Amino acid sequence: MVLGTYKEVVAARSTDKQIQKIAQDGGIVSGLFCYALDEGLIDGAVVAGPTDVMWKPEPMVAMSSDEILAAAGTKYTFSPNVWMLKQAVRQYGLEKVGTVAIPCQSMGIRKMQSYPFGVRFLADKIALTLGIFCMENFPYESLRTFISEKAGVDFDLVEKMDIGKGKFWIETADQTLTIPLKETHGYEQNGCKVCLDYVCELADVSTGSVGTPDGWSTVFVRTDAGETVFKQAVEAGLIETKSMDDVKPGLGLLEKLATDKKTKAMKVIDERKAMGLPVPYKGSSEKEDPLANI
Amino acid sequence: MSERVVISPTSRQEGHAELVMEVDDEGIVTKGRYFSITPVRGLEKMLTGKAPESAPVYAQRICGVCPIPHTLASAEAMDDSLGIEIPKAARQLRELTLAAHHINSHAIHQFLIAPDVVPDDLMVTAINSVSEIRKTVQMVVDIVAGEGIHPSDIRIGGMASNISEVARKRLYARCKQLKPKLDAHVELIIGLVADKGFPEGLGVTNAPTLATDILYGNRENFDLDRFTEIMPESWFDDPEIAKRACSTVPLYDGRNVEVGPRARLATYGDFKERGVVAQHVARALEMKTALSKIIDTLAELDTSAPVMADFDIRGTNKLGVGAIEGPRGMDVHMAQVANGKTQFYSCLVPTTWNIPTMGIATEGFHHEFGPHVIRAYDPCLSCATHMIVIDDEDRSILKDEMVRI
Repeated sequence: MVLGTYKEVVAARSTDKQIQKIAQDGGIVSGLFCYALDEGLIDGAVVAGPTDVMWKPEPMVAMSSDEILAAAGTKYTFSPNVWMLKQAVRQYGLEKVGTVAIPCQSMGIRKMQSYPFGVRFLADKIALTLGIFCMENFPYESLRTFISEKAGVDFDLVEKMDIGKGKFWIETADQTLTIPLKETHGYEQNGCKVCLDYVCELADVSTGSVGTPDGWSTVFVRTDAGETVFKQAVEAGLIETKSMDDVKPGLGLLEKLATDKKTKAMKVIDERKAMGLPVPYKGSSEKEDPLANI
Repeated sequence: MSERVVISPTSRQEGHAELVMEVDDEGIVTKGRYFSITPVRGLEKMLTGKAPESAPVYAQRICGVCPIPHTLASAEAMDDSLGIEIPKAARQLRELTLAAHHINSHAIHQFLIAPDVVPDDLMVTAINSVSEIRKTVQMVVDIVAGEGIHPSDIRIGGMASNISEVARKRLYARCKQLKPKLDAHVELIIGLVADKGFPEGLGVTNAPTLATDILYGNRENFDLDRFTEIMPESWFDDPEIAKRACSTVPLYDGRNVEVGPRARLATYGDFKERGVVAQHVARALEMKTALSKIIDTLAELDTSAPVMADFDIRGTNKLGVGAIEGPRGMDVHMAQVANGKTQFYSCLVPTTWNIPTMGIATEGFHHEFGPHVIRAYDPCLSCATHMIVIDDEDRSILKDEMVRI
């Protein structure tokens, strides 16, 4: 199963006009967090908040819808949200924490919950993990370099970034630029080369733009906790859904991309293992399904 | 005819110690000696030459039973040596941490004495009560000091960060809710100790009490000039015991003293009773004092106030003293910092003060009461065990029969 285990997969978007306007795609993460906060399902969320430096996010504890919305939109560089979780339950005194994570972070969170070493009384307070699809992640300097050198646009002028249709999209106030994704290769973080997870298989709910038309998101509901929040938000009319069968390009594309990522990573893992390097995954010969995320 | 009753190690306490009692024909203790046989920690030596910031981090690892007083005493000693005046909010956060720890630690002790004083039909009630209280107060420590056992946020110069307003309100509500439960718990424990019917006068000694404050600790009330430290050889009249005892004997005005909750209440309150029952009662009553302190402090705390002072870490080699009233008594750490490194470090910990008094306290009653007397002091020996190897004057080795590091 290249897309991990899930209870349900749908195309969805937030019905809130304000969220639609500022969100990356369907506004699922913002919508779900706002709903969960308003309903008291969580009492705060660790999100990638804005800083003084454009496009350089920093984890922040959001305790209101306004703070959630201030952090909306995808940043293509790392925000170490897992690091902030402990502060959220300590100094901020939260007891039901939500967080947004990319696949590697969700793996870290799940591992932390399984072996809560050094994170006493934290594991049981993580109430909602929203995952986002991730092919690769760029260090801040990488991102700045290829945007300013390859696209030739000042980093500060960029208003939105996106990945889709094989290209890296950069929007400024007056133009839309693209870089073929191939040209961004080599700029990603080293760990991304061995990552076997594309669709955030370990989150409660995972979401991303791939598989659905513009303005919509593909949503995998994976756990009971995720199902509770998502269903309630849909019933409350905050999120509208469509069957994946009715949208283009559909699950097929996700399966293809997930398989590609896993196949490529597995090759790197096997190569590194052959060289005797430490890799935190099993080699393809060591597991039943070479494409399983273990 | 005199006989010897030896309990080794003594049970339901932290660390390892031995109680040696000489008894007469009736089994009455004529001479009691209590001493630590816990291996040496040697943290003071490890700290010497390190950066001052290491001190609270190392010192709290002396022991997992009362790491909070050690962290605080260490940070306060460093604050004093470096001439730092910590901000008001930082002081409040430290007081909160310690008060919560007092309740937690006393509750653990009540769990340890439960087999002595709690009848079978009330055991579950008593243990549940202990657990519930600990859960709430440990949450206070978790949130205020960053970590429930080894607090990460108590720093030289104050605290790493203030808590959020949400956290303050939440803790305030929880502690308010805890109050009736704690009151009932204290009543239960005091009642059970009374019902146990310990003989009148058990554990009473003439040792003076020593405390620096009613709850938190105050270095002004600890006079270093009145303190002396002698080797076990000079204290224990039995050379075999003196040789095996792992801790030095601290004296105040040349006398052995009693520290702990009863000592605090006797010194700063009007608590007159002495002995085993009085110690249990004082400990239980102190839980109430600590909880009201927590509630008051949370009500006053300004969560937007700064909690870290500016300071120069290089130091002037001033001898800094940090005196903290730990659950088991006065915990004094002393430190000197010069050239950005710790030059000298020493811990004078609660149970060290009590050790010479505890043996004597068993005298005059049947030896079966011995363990009860010891437990009433809630001894905690890991930190009480010291290296006594090198003469400070000429660096010669005085004694190396214990543990070489």
